[in-house]
Amino acid sequence: MRTLRLLRRRRALLNCAPISQNHLADRSMRAAVAREDGSDEFVNQQNFDRAVAEIVGLVPIPPESAEWFSEKEAVRAPRWTWKKIVLNPAVLAISIALLVIAGVFAFHLLDRLNDFPGSATARKLLTVAGSTRSVTLDPVTAEAGTLSDLFFMKHGLEHYDVPDEFADFQTIGCRVFDDDESQRIAQIWIAEKRMQFFLFPAERDAKTGAVLAFPGWRYVHQEGWVGAVAEHNGVCFMAVLRGREKDLAPYLSRLKK
Amino acid sequence: MSDQKQNLPQLYRFCFLMLGDSRKAQEVFNTTLREAAMRAAQGELPKESFWLFREARWRCLEASKMDLQPESLEIDEHAVAPQAASQIKQLDPAQLAIWISAAPDPQRTALALFYLNEFDYLEILDIAELKLSTLSRYLAQGRRQLQAWLDAKHSGAPKI
Repeated sequence: MRTLRLLRRRRALLNCAPISQNHLADRSMRAAVAREDGSDEFVNQQNFDRAVAEIVGLVPIPPESAEWFSEKEAVRAPRWTWKKIVLNPAVLAISIALLVIAGVFAFHLLDRLNDFPGSATARKLLTVAGSTRSVTLDPVTAEAGTLSDLFFMKHGLEHYDVPDEFADFQTIGCRVFDDDESQRIAQIWIAEKRMQFFLFPAERDAKTGAVLAFPGWRYVHQEGWVGAVAEHNGVCFMAVLRGREKDLAPYLSRLKK
Repeated sequence: MSDQKQNLPQLYRFCFLMLGDSRKAQEVFNTTLREAAMRAAQGELPKESFWLFREARWRCLEASKMDLQPESLEIDEHAVAPQAASQIKQLDPAQLAIWISAAPDPQRTALALFYLNEFDYLEILDIAELKLSTLSRYLAQGRRQLQAWLDAKHSGAPKI
């Protein structure tokens, strides 16, 4: 039964045997042709097919239709150009998504690069600066530098010193309060440009308790407020005003001088 | 889509074999390519292989529907003779096309695609949507019928 089926299939393949060798599509066809090659019937069939194909090849192409051949480009699949690729909605959507992700990543990276020990507290205090009204502070008219003694004698806060360069600013009020981590914070309101100063304990190593010091001035930003922070003797000093870094920069360059 | 396989001169010859009339073949060929050019401009070219031949085939069948249909008669069949090749060489391409175009479809499509010598049998099965056994039967029968016609032609009187 199986042999009969195989013979029938071989016969079917031979009837479809290609006219030229380069159309021997698969192994079964090659096998069928190889087995039958040389038999009179198959030779007749091949000669017959070749002769018919030759006549078909002689079919002339009218000039009107031949015009299409030079315009073959017209029916070719459209080529992908850079412009097409870029304007493809899928590519566009993916590009925008990648740009947004890259933007967020860069923003967080820059944020991290600007981080320093105590930056989290400094940011929280910028929010405090934004929400404090001068009337909530005890009115004090003095030079900022002189308040160190007040903080020490009245509140027992050691080294809560205003840096020398900010020391001659006239104050209009000050207060001492505990933040949500029970750290003692000193806040000073300055007459000039509604500037505020904050003094707060520097961040310490959780294991050793050593102060995590950092050199120079560091900027922090929060909701339109900018602060410049410096650490000295385990206490951070932060000068704050509403604006940008360039508004604070002149005061810091004065410090350098 | 393989550009090599979408051979345009062969596409025209296919239309000619299917219709047996140069004017109609040109019409179908031009319409098919115009449609393809429009779709290419809109970036909607089908990705399937040999779609131009498939498209042209349906257009040819559509065009020949409006023609006078040949009566279904029992046609003589002769075994392929050793001298067949020399008999065929005396044929004019138009005569062969008329003979093929008179065959009922799908035998007509099978013969036209096969004698283009452009496709292997698997590709013909794909374009004509046939099974191997059917294609085999149509080709074998076609050869025998063409041989009978050639014999009749050379003996002078057509035998039906």
